[in-house]
Amino acid sequence: MIEPIKSFITSSQLATIAQNTTQSVAIETTLKSIGRPGFILVDKDIDSDTKQYAAAKEFLYQATCLAVYMALIVPVFKKGGFKLAKEKLFKNTQGFEHFKDVKEYLHYRKLADNPSIDNRLATLNKNLPGSNSKVKDLYDATLIEELKKKNPEKFAYVKGAVELSNIIGSVLGLAILAPQVSHAFIHPALRFLGLEDKNKKANNQAQKIDTKA
Amino acid sequence: MSINNFVKKICKSLGENNKPTYVVMAIATVKGICRPMFTMMDKTENPETKKYTALREGLTEVIAIPAYWACGELAGGLAKKAFKDKALASRAEKNLMFMGVCAAALFVIPGLCSVAIKPIMDKMGLKAPDKKEPKKVMETEQPPVYTPANLNSIANMNKYPKLSTFTAKPQVGLRVGGL
Repeated sequence: MIEPIKSFITSSQLATIAQNTTQSVAIETTLKSIGRPGFILVDKDIDSDTKQYAAAKEFLYQATCLAVYMALIVPVFKKGGFKLAKEKLFKNTQGFEHFKDVKEYLHYRKLADNPSIDNRLATLNKNLPGSNSKVKDLYDATLIEELKKKNPEKFAYVKGAVELSNIIGSVLGLAILAPQVSHAFIHPALRFLGLEDKNKKANNQAQKIDTKA
Repeated sequence: MSINNFVKKICKSLGENNKPTYVVMAIATVKGICRPMFTMMDKTENPETKKYTALREGLTEVIAIPAYWACGELAGGLAKKAFKDKALASRAEKNLMFMGVCAAALFVIPGLCSVAIKPIMDKMGLKAPDKKEPKKVMETEQPPVYTPANLNSIANMNKYPKLSTFTAKPQVGLRVGGL
């Protein structure tokens, strides 16, 4: 019982996700979209119509945030941040000179994180999907030499630049852009689900009763 | 230190150890500033509702920032105690920190918010706009107004029969033989 838990806690795949800004933010937003509506639904102080409306609104808000984040922020900031750092900030130094784009770096990083040298070399000799060239053709001699070492260089500056641009993108996307998009999307979606009219009707009825009282 | 060097230093630090708490705390901080600001700029909503919603949104993020940090650090701290091997402990620390952040997002923050926000708002004297107590209507005893229309109904409500039409026979029930 303890061993599977131990191996899960020390899993290298989970560590890769935990160290990756975009993946961890996407998972966290998904959990928010479950947790927040859940807590609204179990609240005993609110009547059932309002609960349903508030929970649906919160869920749609988090779902919109996730969609905006995955569709716009991740590709733009991941690629843009790497390019900006490579060309302007680091001017092809500190390891940036070895990689054409962020995809290439992330592939190398995944290989470098693999503790087994044999596994790394086996991956290097594999064919690239849909072509005759091999994985090792992607890398220059320095990178291949590094992958043969026990502790290969992981190019912290490159990783840091990618993560920094991801953090900036996540903040801009989730705190500024997504609320604006969701504001435009949520009300039509709630009306489509028949929750907004219901709520309005309930409010109108309450108002009618109030005026008569 | 120039901005370039500062950014390079951040890049190096993030490249070596990108804690899962960094990004969630950064998002919560900016959300805590921007969401109430956007709410207050909304011209369609009435000022009381805006004030209430903005404060509620701000408070949610104020609770979220330390909750993320505490959950992440507490969970990460467990790894050092549980694993003696340095490499494993380092990996477990990252993973547990991430799990701590997930737990914070899933139930710690929503739970704390549902427990703490209402009392704080009540202490500040702010109530949900739709839950405000209705204004008390002055309850005065007004004399009844008699109009020709309701006089008839009042007369019908008089249960005592007139003396001229009084009969000792029962007025209800089945009458047999035309009596």
